Amino acid sequence: MSTDGPVVTALSTGDPAFAAEATVEVRDLSVWFGPKVALSELSCSFGPGVTGLLGPNGAGKTTLMRAMTGLLGPKSGRVRVLGRDPRASREVQRSLALVPEDEAVPAGLTARQLVRYVADLHGVVDRTAVERCLDEVDLTDVADRKVGGFSKGMRQRVKVAAALVPDPTVLVLDEPLNGADPVQRAHLIALFRRLGAEGRTVIVSSHVLHEVERLAQRQIVLLQGRLAAAGGHRAIRDAMADRPRRMLVRTPAARQLAASLLGLEAVSGVTVDDGSIVVSSSRAGEVATALPRLARDLDTRLEEVRPLDDSLESLFRELVR
Amino acid sequence: MTAATAVLGYTLRVCLPARRWWTLVLPWVAAVLFGLLSFASDEPRQEAFAVTADHGLFSLLIPIGCLVVGDAVLGAEMRSGTFHFTWLSPVPIRTIVLGRWLGGWLISLVALVPAVALSAVVARSAAAIPALSLATAAGSAAYIGLFVLIGCVTRRAAVWSLAVVFLVERLLGSALSGVAQLSPMWESRAVYAGLGPDAEELLRDGVPDGWAAVVRLTIITVVVLALASWRLRHPRLAAASD
Repeated sequence: MSTDGPVVTALSTGDPAFAAEATVEVRDLSVWFGPKVALSELSCSFGPGVTGLLGPNGAGKTTLMRAMTGLLGPKSGRVRVLGRDPRASREVQRSLALVPEDEAVPAGLTARQLVRYVADLHGVVDRTAVERCLDEVDLTDVADRKVGGFSKGMRQRVKVAAALVPDPTVLVLDEPLNGADPVQRAHLIALFRRLGAEGRTVIVSSHVLHEVERLAQRQIVLLQGRLAAAGGHRAIRDAMADRPRRMLVRTPAARQLAASLLGLEAVSGVTVDDGSIVVSSSRAGEVATALPRLARDLDTRLEEVRPLDDSLESLFRELVR
Repeated sequence: MTAATAVLGYTLRVCLPARRWWTLVLPWVAAVLFGLLSFASDEPRQEAFAVTADHGLFSLLIPIGCLVVGDAVLGAEMRSGTFHFTWLSPVPIRTIVLGRWLGGWLISLVALVPAVALSAVVARSAAAIPALSLATAAGSAAYIGLFVLIGCVTRRAAVWSLAVVFLVERLLGSALSGVAQLSPMWESRAVYAGLGPDAEELLRDGVPDGWAAVVRLTIITVVVLALASWRLRHPRLAAASD
């Protein structure tokens, strides 16, 4: 895998890496640990709404999130949250919250004590805030149990509750859905979407890409510490126009239709397998337009036409290839 | 609740979970054994206890007790990756450091001052209790501060703390009075040497004793806490798994 240049060059022209009303700005950020470069001259920004932060293991997502919250200092470049350096300004921490990926929690505290502690540190005067946040993540029933005995998913949720209690403007969530069961995942996704809709900046990293698709309107993709792509996942996909896209076509006359498709200039490859055709094309729109006409000419019907690589998973696979 | 009170309360909870209060008794048991050990000496009671206090209390019990508490105050949190709950808040760093230190010091006072007093009682040297308690209180203040600083600097805080106590203080401090002057172990010993009964044998050239040693320990405490505050302003808080 090479990241010598931007993988999706088209994205840099319209600056999709930068949000319109940025609350978090990252400029030329580099972080390294000994010989390992975690982030390399990364520039991007985040604004209100939910932004997904994607990348394979070791891409630099966690490092970026820790740098954004001030837990790690940049070797070069700068980070600004609400216009201030999160390492220099203690006040900016009032508006900033992090849910880290690792499971570590103060094992001897109950969920209520932990959330109350964070509330006290932030000077939260609303005495109902702790209960409300525990309720948001569905932990009210176990609020007086030690968090050391919690499952991974419950630990993630108590960290989310602790992050919500100061009512932050910027919420940084590192793999917040880890360990959560399907019901809780759906619940947390709805919660994060609501927080984004309220105008908060919600930055979510995840490996569960289809959930990020559901969650975030905008994605930032990192590869080996560099910006690989940014924007909506469809926009990113469209920007990769020079790479073939694949679509699945099911029809009773698969072989005949495949032969017709090969006559199209826009088609770069066709494979036929048991009544279905996988068409590769860098101009998928043209193929989609031509398909009904070709089917009509062959007097056959199209049972199914769908893109195979219009999801974040496929985008991701293609970027890391 | 103010932020400072919150930090203090959290420190006490984290260092001593509700069901672990019995662990405070451990140093008391050790101290009683050291008190009994003083009867192995034929010297007069006070002098025999001074020697036991030197080798048992100031060289082992107080440093090890403070190390356990001091590591729990900050180093353990840095290692486990839970310190971000505190750091990611608008609370001034000096308040965090002072709250952590104060929590650790209070626990060490509860664990160690009764222990050394008990040791003196067992050794039939009750007259030594005031000086011994003062030396323990001042020494543990400096030690907890030192271990808080080490916790800020390295993730292997327990190992480095042991190295500081046994290699720097015990070995180098024995040979070099310049090191001993900056050592909580030697300075707390010097407090007792200057103020305790029949403890002149513990006096050492080049190391301030009595109230001057208390002042020296106070300065050490202030300096290490200032350094810890400075260090915590520029943390590198990687995840526990990193």
